[in-house]
Amino acid sequence: MSISLISLENVNLDYLRKPSRPAASKSIWSFSSFFAKRNVSRLSKNRALNNVSFDVSEGERIGLLGHNGAGKTTLLKAMADLYPIAEGKLSVNGVVRSLFDLSLGFEPDATGRENIMYRGLLLGQTPAQMMALEKEIVDFADLGDFIDYPINTYSAGMQVRLAFAVSTSISGDILLLDEVVGVGDAAFIDRAVSRIKSLIDSAKVVFLASHDLLTIRSVCNRVIVLDKGVVIYDGDVEDGIVCYLKSQGLASE
Amino acid sequence: MGYIKKIWSARFFWRHLVSSDLRSKWRRSALGVLWGVIQPLGLTLLIAFVFGRVFGADIRTYAPYILSGIIVWEFITASISAGSMAFIQADQYIKQCNHPLAIYSLRTVLLNSYVMIVASMSLFLWIVIEFPQNFGLTWLSLLVVPIIYLVMLWPMATILAYAGTRFRDLQHVLGIVLQAIWFMSPVYLEERLFRSANLAPLLDHNPIYHMLELVRAPLLRGSFPTLTNYAYCLGFFIVALLLSILIGRRVERKIIFYL
Repeated sequence: MSISLISLENVNLDYLRKPSRPAASKSIWSFSSFFAKRNVSRLSKNRALNNVSFDVSEGERIGLLGHNGAGKTTLLKAMADLYPIAEGKLSVNGVVRSLFDLSLGFEPDATGRENIMYRGLLLGQTPAQMMALEKEIVDFADLGDFIDYPINTYSAGMQVRLAFAVSTSISGDILLLDEVVGVGDAAFIDRAVSRIKSLIDSAKVVFLASHDLLTIRSVCNRVIVLDKGVVIYDGDVEDGIVCYLKSQGLASE
Repeated sequence: MGYIKKIWSARFFWRHLVSSDLRSKWRRSALGVLWGVIQPLGLTLLIAFVFGRVFGADIRTYAPYILSGIIVWEFITASISAGSMAFIQADQYIKQCNHPLAIYSLRTVLLNSYVMIVASMSLFLWIVIEFPQNFGLTWLSLLVVPIIYLVMLWPMATILAYAGTRFRDLQHVLGIVLQAIWFMSPVYLEERLFRSANLAPLLDHNPIYHMLELVRAPLLRGSFPTLTNYAYCLGFFIVALLLSILIGRRVERKIIFYL
Protein backbone atom coordinates (compact mmCIF):
# COMPACT_ATOMS: atom_id res chain seq x y z
CA MET A 1 0.00 0.00 0.00
CA SER A 2 1.23 3.45 -0.80
CA ILE A 3 1.05 6.16 1.83
CA SER A 4 -1.52 8.89 1.34
CA LEU A 5 -0.20 12.20 0.09
CA ILE A 6 -3.34 14.13 0.86
CA SER A 7 -5.76 13.36 3.61
CA LEU A 8 -8.88 15.24 4.68
CA GLU A 9 -10.86 14.30 7.77
CA ASN A 10 -14.25 15.91 8.37
CA VAL A 11 -13.07 19.21 6.92
CA ASN A 12 -15.37 22.20 7.26
CA LEU A 13 -14.53 25.50 5.64
CA ASP A 14 -16.42 28.73 6.23
CA TYR A 15 -16.31 31.89 4.21
CA LEU A 16 -16.50 34.99 6.34
CA ARG A 17 -18.46 37.61 4.50
CA LYS A 18 -20.27 40.72 5.46
CA PRO A 19 -23.72 40.64 3.96
CA SER A 20 -23.55 43.28 1.29
CA ARG A 21 -25.44 46.42 2.06
CA PRO A 22 -25.86 49.52 -0.03
CA ALA A 23 -22.95 51.91 0.07
CA ALA A 24 -23.33 54.65 2.66
CA SER A 25 -23.58 57.29 -0.06
CA LYS A 26 -26.77 55.72 -1.37
CA SER A 27 -28.58 55.67 1.93
CA ILE A 28 -27.13 58.73 3.55
CA TRP A 29 -30.07 60.90 2.51
CA SER A 30 -32.59 58.74 4.28
CA PHE A 31 -31.50 58.46 7.86
CA SER A 32 -33.93 55.73 8.79
CA SER A 33 -32.51 53.32 6.23
CA PHE A 34 -28.96 54.35 7.08
CA PHE A 35 -29.42 53.27 10.67
CA ALA A 36 -31.69 50.33 9.91
CA LYS A 37 -28.86 48.63 8.00
CA ARG A 38 -26.57 48.65 11.02
CA ASN A 39 -28.00 45.56 12.67
CA VAL A 40 -27.28 43.30 9.69
CA SER A 41 -23.66 44.35 9.32
CA ARG A 42 -22.64 41.43 11.52
CA LEU A 43 -20.43 38.80 9.96
CA SER A 44 -22.16 35.79 8.54
CA LYS A 45 -20.57 32.46 7.82
CA ASN A 46 -21.07 30.59 4.60
CA ARG A 47 -20.17 26.97 4.80
CA ALA A 48 -18.28 26.25 1.59
CA LEU A 49 -17.03 22.77 2.46
CA ASN A 50 -19.09 20.57 4.71
CA ASN A 51 -17.66 17.52 6.42
CA VAL A 52 -15.35 16.58 3.56
CA SER A 53 -13.19 13.47 4.03
CA PHE A 54 -11.00 11.55 1.61
CA ASP A 55 -7.51 10.16 1.17
CA VAL A 56 -5.39 10.38 -1.92
CA SER A 57 -2.36 8.26 -2.61
CA GLU A 58 0.33 8.38 -5.26
CA GLY A 59 -0.76 7.81 -8.83
CA GLU A 60 -4.30 9.02 -8.43
CA ARG A 61 -5.70 11.49 -10.96
CA ILE A 62 -8.85 12.92 -9.51
CA GLY A 63 -11.56 14.69 -11.45
CA LEU A 64 -13.58 17.21 -9.43
CA LEU A 65 -17.12 17.59 -10.69
CA GLY A 66 -19.94 19.80 -9.48
CA HIS A 67 -21.97 22.71 -10.71
CA ASN A 68 -20.81 26.30 -10.29
CA GLY A 69 -20.42 27.20 -6.64
CA ALA A 70 -20.36 23.60 -5.46
CA GLY A 71 -16.96 24.11 -3.82
CA LYS A 72 -14.49 22.77 -6.39
CA THR A 73 -12.21 25.78 -6.39
CA THR A 74 -12.58 26.19 -2.64
CA LEU A 75 -11.42 22.61 -2.16
CA LEU A 76 -8.40 23.18 -4.44
CA LYS A 77 -7.52 26.39 -2.62
CA ALA A 78 -7.82 24.70 0.76
CA MET A 79 -5.39 22.00 -0.39
CA ALA A 80 -3.07 24.71 -1.76
CA ASP A 81 -3.04 26.12 1.79
CA LEU A 82 -4.65 29.38 0.72
CA TYR A 83 -7.89 29.05 2.66
CA PRO A 84 -7.82 28.14 6.35
CA ILE A 85 -10.20 25.37 7.35
CA ALA A 86 -12.62 25.90 10.22
CA GLU A 87 -12.73 22.37 11.58
CA GLY A 88 -11.31 18.97 10.81
CA LYS A 89 -7.88 17.81 9.70
CA LEU A 90 -6.18 18.46 6.41
CA SER A 91 -2.69 17.25 5.65
CA VAL A 92 -0.79 17.60 2.41
CA ASN A 93 2.62 16.02 1.93
CA GLY A 94 4.53 17.27 -1.06
CA VAL A 95 5.17 20.31 -3.20
CA VAL A 96 1.86 21.72 -4.39
CA ARG A 97 1.70 23.36 -7.79
CA SER A 98 -1.52 25.05 -8.77
CA LEU A 99 -2.58 26.50 -12.09
CA PHE A 100 -5.28 29.06 -11.40
CA ASP A 101 -4.58 32.35 -13.17
CA LEU A 102 -1.75 31.69 -15.60
CA SER A 103 -0.77 35.27 -16.38
CA LEU A 104 -0.70 36.59 -12.81
CA GLY A 105 2.57 38.37 -12.13
CA PHE A 106 3.10 39.61 -15.68
CA GLU A 107 4.13 43.21 -16.09
CA PRO A 108 2.75 44.80 -19.27
CA ASP A 109 5.74 47.09 -19.83
CA ALA A 110 8.35 44.37 -19.49
CA THR A 111 9.51 42.10 -22.29
CA GLY A 112 8.39 38.52 -22.65
CA ARG A 113 11.79 37.30 -21.50
CA GLU A 114 11.67 39.48 -18.37
CA ASN A 115 8.17 38.29 -17.60
CA ILE A 116 9.30 34.68 -17.68
CA MET A 117 11.57 35.61 -14.80
CA TYR A 118 8.89 37.61 -12.95
CA ARG A 119 6.28 34.91 -13.10
CA GLY A 120 8.85 32.33 -12.05
CA LEU A 121 9.80 34.39 -8.98
CA LEU A 122 6.12 34.68 -8.07
CA LEU A 123 5.89 30.90 -8.19
CA GLY A 124 8.74 30.68 -5.71
CA GLN A 125 11.63 29.88 -8.06
CA THR A 126 15.07 31.41 -7.71
CA PRO A 127 16.55 33.55 -10.51
CA ALA A 128 19.11 30.82 -11.24
CA GLN A 129 16.40 28.19 -11.62
CA MET A 130 14.47 30.42 -14.00
CA MET A 131 17.56 31.16 -16.10
CA ALA A 132 17.98 27.44 -16.56
CA LEU A 133 14.37 27.05 -17.67
CA GLU A 134 14.27 30.13 -19.87
CA LYS A 135 15.42 28.61 -23.15
CA GLU A 136 12.96 25.74 -22.96
CA ILE A 137 10.09 28.16 -22.17
CA VAL A 138 11.03 30.49 -25.02
CA ASP A 139 11.15 27.55 -27.43
CA PHE A 140 7.79 26.25 -26.32
CA ALA A 141 6.01 29.62 -26.42
CA ASP A 142 7.43 29.99 -29.94
CA LEU A 143 6.91 33.75 -30.18
CA GLY A 144 9.90 34.46 -32.43
CA ASP A 145 11.38 37.94 -32.03
CA PHE A 146 8.41 39.03 -29.93
CA ILE A 147 9.98 37.40 -26.89
CA ASP A 148 12.16 40.53 -26.54
CA TYR A 149 9.26 42.97 -27.00
CA PRO A 150 7.14 44.33 -24.16
CA ILE A 151 4.14 42.10 -23.68
CA ASN A 152 1.69 44.97 -24.08
CA THR A 153 2.51 44.64 -27.80
CA TYR A 154 1.32 41.01 -27.74
CA SER A 155 -2.03 39.78 -28.93
CA ALA A 156 -4.22 38.10 -26.32
CA GLY A 157 -3.36 34.69 -27.75
CA MET A 158 0.38 35.35 -27.58
CA GLN A 159 0.13 36.37 -23.94
CA VAL A 160 -1.76 33.20 -23.14
CA ARG A 161 0.91 31.12 -24.87
CA LEU A 162 3.68 32.73 -22.88
CA ALA A 163 1.74 32.40 -19.62
CA PHE A 164 0.99 28.78 -20.34
CA ALA A 165 4.60 28.03 -21.26
CA VAL A 166 5.95 29.50 -18.02
CA SER A 167 3.30 28.07 -15.73
CA THR A 168 3.64 24.55 -17.07
CA SER A 169 7.45 24.55 -16.98
CA ILE A 170 7.59 24.02 -13.23
CA SER A 171 6.34 20.71 -11.94
CA GLY A 172 5.37 19.59 -8.47
CA ASP A 173 4.31 16.51 -6.54
CA ILE A 174 0.71 17.61 -6.33
CA LEU A 175 -0.83 19.34 -9.29
CA LEU A 176 -4.05 21.34 -8.90
CA LEU A 177 -5.71 22.33 -12.16
CA ASP A 178 -8.77 24.54 -12.30
CA GLU A 179 -10.58 24.71 -15.62
CA VAL A 180 -7.49 24.82 -17.79
CA VAL A 181 -9.16 25.60 -21.06
CA GLY A 182 -8.06 25.78 -24.69
CA VAL A 183 -5.12 28.07 -25.28
CA GLY A 184 -4.01 29.74 -28.49
CA ASP A 185 -4.55 28.54 -32.03
CA ALA A 186 -5.15 24.99 -33.18
CA ALA A 187 -1.48 24.09 -33.66
CA PHE A 188 -0.66 25.38 -30.21
CA ILE A 189 -3.54 23.53 -28.54
CA ASP A 190 -2.08 20.23 -29.71
CA ARG A 191 1.26 21.01 -28.18
CA ALA A 192 -0.39 22.43 -25.06
CA VAL A 193 -2.38 19.27 -24.50
CA SER A 194 0.70 17.08 -24.81
CA ARG A 195 2.57 19.39 -22.45
CA ILE A 196 -0.22 19.26 -19.85
CA LYS A 197 -0.24 15.49 -20.24
CA SER A 198 3.48 15.24 -19.54
CA LEU A 199 3.07 17.60 -16.58
CA ILE A 200 0.30 15.37 -15.27
CA ASP A 201 2.43 12.27 -15.84
CA SER A 202 5.32 13.71 -13.84
CA ALA A 203 3.11 14.64 -10.88
CA LYS A 204 2.33 12.16 -8.13
CA VAL A 205 -1.20 13.40 -7.60
CA VAL A 206 -3.41 15.46 -9.90
CA PHE A 207 -6.67 17.24 -9.14
CA LEU A 208 -8.56 18.47 -12.15
CA ALA A 209 -11.65 20.62 -11.68
CA SER A 210 -13.51 20.81 -14.94
CA HIS A 211 -16.88 20.66 -16.61
CA ASP A 212 -15.37 18.99 -19.62
CA LEU A 213 -16.33 15.32 -19.25
CA LEU A 214 -14.11 14.25 -22.16
CA THR A 215 -11.01 15.59 -20.44
CA ILE A 216 -12.07 14.02 -17.15
CA ARG A 217 -12.53 10.65 -18.87
CA SER A 218 -9.18 10.78 -20.63
CA VAL A 219 -7.11 11.99 -17.68
CA CYS A 220 -8.69 10.81 -14.45
CA ASN A 221 -8.91 7.47 -12.68
CA ARG A 222 -11.13 8.69 -9.83
CA VAL A 223 -13.95 11.21 -9.57
CA ILE A 224 -15.22 13.24 -6.64
CA VAL A 225 -18.56 14.99 -7.06
CA LEU A 226 -19.34 17.99 -4.89
CA ASP A 227 -22.71 19.52 -4.25
CA LYS A 228 -23.14 22.54 -1.96
CA GLY A 229 -19.83 21.75 -0.29
CA VAL A 230 -20.70 18.10 0.41
CA VAL A 231 -19.01 15.13 -1.25
CA ILE A 232 -21.93 13.26 -2.83
CA TYR A 233 -19.83 10.78 -4.76
CA ASP A 234 -16.26 9.48 -4.53
CA GLY A 235 -15.06 6.62 -6.69
CA ASP A 236 -15.00 5.23 -10.20
CA VAL A 237 -14.97 7.70 -13.13
CA GLU A 238 -17.98 6.49 -15.16
CA ASP A 239 -20.30 6.17 -12.15
CA GLY A 240 -19.13 9.57 -10.95
CA ILE A 241 -20.05 11.17 -14.24
CA VAL A 242 -23.50 9.56 -14.07
CA CYS A 243 -23.94 10.87 -10.53
CA TYR A 244 -22.84 14.35 -11.61
CA LEU A 245 -25.25 14.42 -14.54
CA LYS A 246 -28.09 13.25 -12.32
CA SER A 247 -27.36 15.97 -9.80
CA GLN A 248 -27.51 18.42 -12.67
CA GLY A 249 -30.94 17.09 -13.57
CA LEU A 250 -29.61 15.64 -16.81
CA ALA A 251 -30.05 12.03 -17.78
CA SER A 252 -26.84 10.24 -18.70
CA GLU A 253 -26.47 9.46 -22.36
CA MET B 1 10.19 31.96 13.50
CA GLY B 2 9.03 29.76 10.69
CA TYR B 3 7.35 32.91 9.47
CA ILE B 4 10.66 34.77 9.12
CA LYS B 5 12.02 31.79 7.22
CA LYS B 6 9.12 31.95 4.77
CA ILE B 7 9.71 35.67 4.24
CA TRP B 8 13.35 34.92 3.53
CA SER B 9 12.58 32.16 1.06
CA ALA B 10 10.24 34.50 -0.82
CA ARG B 11 12.98 37.15 -1.01
CA PHE B 12 13.41 36.98 -4.77
CA PHE B 13 9.74 37.66 -5.24
CA TRP B 14 9.43 40.69 -2.95
CA ARG B 15 12.69 42.13 -4.21
CA HIS B 16 11.25 41.90 -7.66
CA LEU B 17 8.03 43.62 -6.53
CA VAL B 18 9.98 46.53 -5.06
CA SER B 19 12.13 46.99 -8.14
CA SER B 20 9.08 46.78 -10.34
CA ASP B 21 7.33 49.43 -8.21
CA LEU B 22 10.39 51.65 -8.46
CA ARG B 23 10.53 51.24 -12.23
CA SER B 24 6.87 52.06 -12.68
CA LYS B 25 7.03 55.06 -10.35
CA TRP B 26 9.10 57.16 -12.69
CA ARG B 27 8.45 55.37 -15.97
CA ARG B 28 7.97 57.46 -19.08
CA SER B 29 8.65 60.76 -17.34
CA ALA B 30 11.39 62.86 -18.90
CA LEU B 31 13.17 63.66 -15.63
CA GLY B 32 12.45 60.26 -14.11
CA VAL B 33 14.07 59.70 -10.76
CA LEU B 34 15.10 63.37 -10.60
CA TRP B 35 11.53 64.18 -9.61
CA GLY B 36 12.21 62.43 -6.35
CA VAL B 37 14.82 65.09 -5.64
CA ILE B 38 13.08 68.12 -7.15
CA GLN B 39 9.73 67.69 -5.44
CA PRO B 40 10.82 67.96 -1.78
CA LEU B 41 13.29 70.69 -2.72
CA GLY B 42 10.63 72.84 -4.36
CA LEU B 43 8.25 72.38 -1.44
CA THR B 44 11.03 73.31 0.95
CA LEU B 45 11.80 76.58 -0.78
CA LEU B 46 8.13 77.53 -0.70
CA ILE B 47 7.60 76.66 2.96
CA ALA B 48 10.91 78.16 4.04
CA PHE B 49 10.00 81.43 2.38
CA VAL B 50 6.56 81.69 4.00
CA PHE B 51 7.31 80.21 7.43
CA GLY B 52 10.65 81.98 7.58
CA ARG B 53 8.80 85.28 7.28
CA VAL B 54 6.01 84.30 9.65
CA PHE B 55 8.22 83.00 12.45
CA GLY B 56 11.18 85.23 11.76
CA ALA B 57 13.54 82.30 11.32
CA ASP B 58 16.86 82.49 9.50
CA ILE B 59 16.06 80.97 6.13
CA ARG B 60 19.58 79.63 5.65
CA THR B 61 19.33 77.30 8.63
CA TYR B 62 15.56 76.89 8.56
CA ALA B 63 15.37 75.52 5.00
CA PRO B 64 17.49 72.37 5.65
CA TYR B 65 15.42 71.81 8.79
CA ILE B 66 12.25 71.83 6.72
CA LEU B 67 13.78 69.66 4.01
CA SER B 68 14.79 67.00 6.52
CA GLY B 69 11.27 67.18 7.97
CA ILE B 70 9.63 66.77 4.58
CA ILE B 71 11.79 63.82 3.57
CA VAL B 72 11.24 61.85 6.76
CA TRP B 73 7.57 62.79 7.10
CA GLU B 74 6.94 61.73 3.49
CA PHE B 75 8.47 58.37 4.29
CA ILE B 76 6.31 57.92 7.39
CA THR B 77 3.00 58.95 5.81
CA ALA B 78 3.63 57.02 2.61
CA SER B 79 4.55 53.88 4.56
CA ILE B 80 1.50 54.21 6.79
CA SER B 81 -1.15 55.12 4.25
CA ALA B 82 0.15 52.87 1.49
CA GLY B 83 0.86 50.24 4.13
CA SER B 84 -2.80 50.11 5.11
CA MET B 85 -3.56 49.29 1.47
CA ALA B 86 -0.72 46.81 1.02
CA PHE B 87 -2.83 43.63 1.10
CA ILE B 88 -5.70 45.14 -0.88
CA GLN B 89 -3.24 46.17 -3.58
CA ALA B 90 -1.71 42.68 -3.66
CA ASP B 91 -5.05 40.85 -3.58
CA GLN B 92 -4.41 38.88 -6.78
CA TYR B 93 -1.12 37.54 -5.42
CA ILE B 94 -2.62 36.75 -2.03
CA LYS B 95 -5.53 34.87 -3.57
CA GLN B 96 -3.28 32.60 -5.58
CA CYS B 97 0.08 32.31 -3.89
CA ASN B 98 0.84 31.16 -0.44
CA HIS B 99 3.46 33.75 0.52
CA PRO B 100 3.54 35.25 4.04
CA LEU B 101 1.50 38.47 4.01
CA ALA B 102 4.20 40.56 5.69
CA ILE B 103 6.14 40.59 2.41
CA TYR B 104 3.51 42.90 0.95
CA SER B 105 3.86 45.47 3.74
CA LEU B 106 7.62 45.06 3.51
CA ARG B 107 7.36 45.88 -0.17
CA THR B 108 5.59 49.16 0.61
CA VAL B 109 8.05 50.22 3.30
CA LEU B 110 11.08 49.21 1.22
CA LEU B 111 9.83 51.18 -1.75
CA ASN B 112 9.39 54.27 0.40
CA SER B 113 12.84 53.78 1.94
CA TYR B 114 14.38 53.95 -1.51
CA VAL B 115 12.35 57.03 -2.35
CA MET B 116 13.55 58.61 0.90
CA ILE B 117 17.18 57.83 0.16
CA VAL B 118 16.87 59.39 -3.30
CA ALA B 119 15.19 62.48 -1.85
CA SER B 120 17.86 62.89 0.83
CA MET B 121 20.56 63.41 -1.80
CA SER B 122 19.50 67.05 -2.10
CA LEU B 123 19.73 67.46 1.67
CA PHE B 124 23.25 66.02 1.75
CA LEU B 125 24.35 68.26 -1.07
CA TRP B 126 22.86 71.30 0.61
CA ILE B 127 24.57 70.62 3.94
CA VAL B 128 27.94 69.81 2.39
CA ILE B 129 27.92 73.09 0.49
CA GLU B 130 26.35 75.37 3.06
CA PHE B 131 27.43 73.82 6.37
CA PRO B 132 30.63 71.87 5.68
CA GLN B 133 31.54 72.19 9.38
CA ASN B 134 28.76 69.69 10.22
CA PHE B 135 30.49 66.95 8.26
CA GLY B 136 32.33 64.47 10.45
CA LEU B 137 32.31 61.16 12.21
CA THR B 138 28.76 61.73 13.42
CA TRP B 139 27.57 61.13 9.86
CA LEU B 140 28.45 57.47 10.27
CA SER B 141 25.31 57.19 12.40
CA LEU B 142 23.31 58.10 9.27
CA LEU B 143 24.24 54.79 7.67
CA VAL B 144 21.90 52.83 9.93
CA VAL B 145 19.04 55.34 9.78
CA PRO B 146 17.28 53.78 6.76
CA ILE B 147 17.49 50.39 8.45
CA ILE B 148 16.10 51.77 11.72
CA TYR B 149 13.26 53.48 9.88
CA LEU B 150 12.51 50.37 7.86
CA VAL B 151 12.46 48.14 10.92
CA MET B 152 10.24 50.63 12.80
CA LEU B 153 7.67 51.08 10.06
CA TRP B 154 7.43 47.51 8.76
CA PRO B 155 5.53 46.04 11.76
CA MET B 156 3.41 49.19 11.92
CA ALA B 157 2.53 48.96 8.23
CA THR B 158 1.74 45.28 8.68
CA ILE B 159 -0.70 45.98 11.52
CA LEU B 160 -2.40 48.66 9.44
CA ALA B 161 -2.52 46.37 6.42
CA TYR B 162 -4.32 43.70 8.45
CA ALA B 163 -6.73 46.29 9.81
CA GLY B 164 -7.14 48.14 6.52
CA THR B 165 -8.19 44.98 4.71
CA ARG B 166 -10.84 44.16 7.27
CA PHE B 167 -12.05 47.75 7.85
CA ARG B 168 -12.03 49.63 4.60
CA ASP B 169 -12.79 52.93 6.33
CA LEU B 170 -9.36 52.87 7.91
CA GLN B 171 -7.58 54.60 5.04
CA HIS B 172 -9.88 57.60 5.39
CA VAL B 173 -9.45 57.69 9.15
CA LEU B 174 -5.67 57.51 8.70
CA GLY B 175 -5.75 60.64 6.57
CA ILE B 176 -7.18 62.58 9.51
CA VAL B 177 -4.98 60.91 12.11
CA LEU B 178 -1.82 61.64 10.13
CA GLN B 179 -2.86 65.26 9.80
CA ALA B 180 -3.31 65.42 13.57
CA ILE B 181 0.08 63.82 14.22
CA TRP B 182 1.66 66.25 11.80
CA PHE B 183 0.39 69.18 13.86
CA MET B 184 1.82 67.67 17.02
CA SER B 185 5.25 66.93 15.56
CA PRO B 186 8.16 69.20 14.75
CA VAL B 187 8.06 68.37 11.04
CA TYR B 188 8.17 71.94 9.70
CA LEU B 189 7.79 73.89 12.93
CA GLU B 190 10.94 74.51 14.88
CA GLU B 191 11.63 72.74 18.13
CA ARG B 192 11.95 76.03 20.03
CA LEU B 193 8.38 76.99 19.14
CA PHE B 194 7.08 73.87 20.88
CA ARG B 195 9.30 74.38 23.91
CA SER B 196 8.50 78.06 24.32
CA ALA B 197 4.78 77.22 24.18
CA ASN B 198 5.18 74.72 27.02
CA LEU B 199 4.51 71.85 24.63
CA ALA B 200 7.76 70.02 25.37
CA PRO B 201 5.98 66.70 26.19
CA LEU B 202 4.73 66.66 22.59
CA LEU B 203 8.35 66.38 21.54
CA ASP B 204 9.87 64.30 24.29
CA HIS B 205 7.35 61.47 24.11
CA ASN B 206 6.78 61.61 20.36
CA PRO B 207 8.51 58.83 18.40
CA ILE B 208 8.42 61.00 15.30
CA TYR B 209 10.47 63.69 17.02
CA HIS B 210 13.06 61.06 17.94
CA MET B 211 13.05 59.64 14.43
CA LEU B 212 13.69 63.10 13.05
CA GLU B 213 16.50 63.66 15.53
CA LEU B 214 18.35 60.64 14.14
CA VAL B 215 18.75 62.64 10.94
CA ARG B 216 18.81 66.19 12.25
CA ALA B 217 21.42 65.80 14.98
CA PRO B 218 24.26 64.74 12.67
CA LEU B 219 23.23 66.71 9.58
CA LEU B 220 22.08 70.00 11.04
CA ARG B 221 24.16 70.17 14.20
CA GLY B 222 27.08 67.83 13.59
CA SER B 223 26.36 65.83 16.74
CA PHE B 224 25.39 62.25 17.50
CA PRO B 225 21.75 61.46 18.26
CA THR B 226 21.17 60.89 21.99
CA LEU B 227 20.61 57.51 23.55
CA THR B 228 17.08 58.64 24.38
CA ASN B 229 16.42 59.08 20.66
CA TYR B 230 17.49 55.51 19.98
CA ALA B 231 15.59 54.20 23.00
CA TYR B 232 12.31 55.71 21.81
CA CYS B 233 12.80 54.25 18.33
CA LEU B 234 13.56 50.85 19.83
CA GLY B 235 10.53 51.09 22.12
CA PHE B 236 8.27 51.95 19.20
CA PHE B 237 9.66 49.01 17.24
CA ILE B 238 9.16 46.52 20.07
CA VAL B 239 5.58 47.60 20.77
CA ALA B 240 4.67 47.52 17.07
CA LEU B 241 6.40 44.17 16.58
CA LEU B 242 4.60 42.52 19.50
CA LEU B 243 1.27 43.94 18.35
CA SER B 244 1.82 42.76 14.79
CA ILE B 245 2.69 39.25 15.97
CA LEU B 246 -0.33 39.19 18.26
CA ILE B 247 -2.69 40.39 15.54
CA GLY B 248 -1.03 38.39 12.78
CA ARG B 249 -1.47 35.13 14.70
CA ARG B 250 -5.20 35.70 14.81
CA VAL B 251 -5.94 37.12 11.40
CA GLU B 252 -3.15 36.25 8.92
CA ARG B 253 -5.00 33.26 7.49
CA LYS B 254 -8.39 34.96 7.43
CA ILE B 255 -7.30 37.99 5.43
CA ILE B 256 -7.99 36.16 2.16
CA PHE B 257 -11.72 36.18 2.96
CA TYR B 258 -11.82 39.96 3.08
CA LEU B 259 -10.13 40.64 -0.24
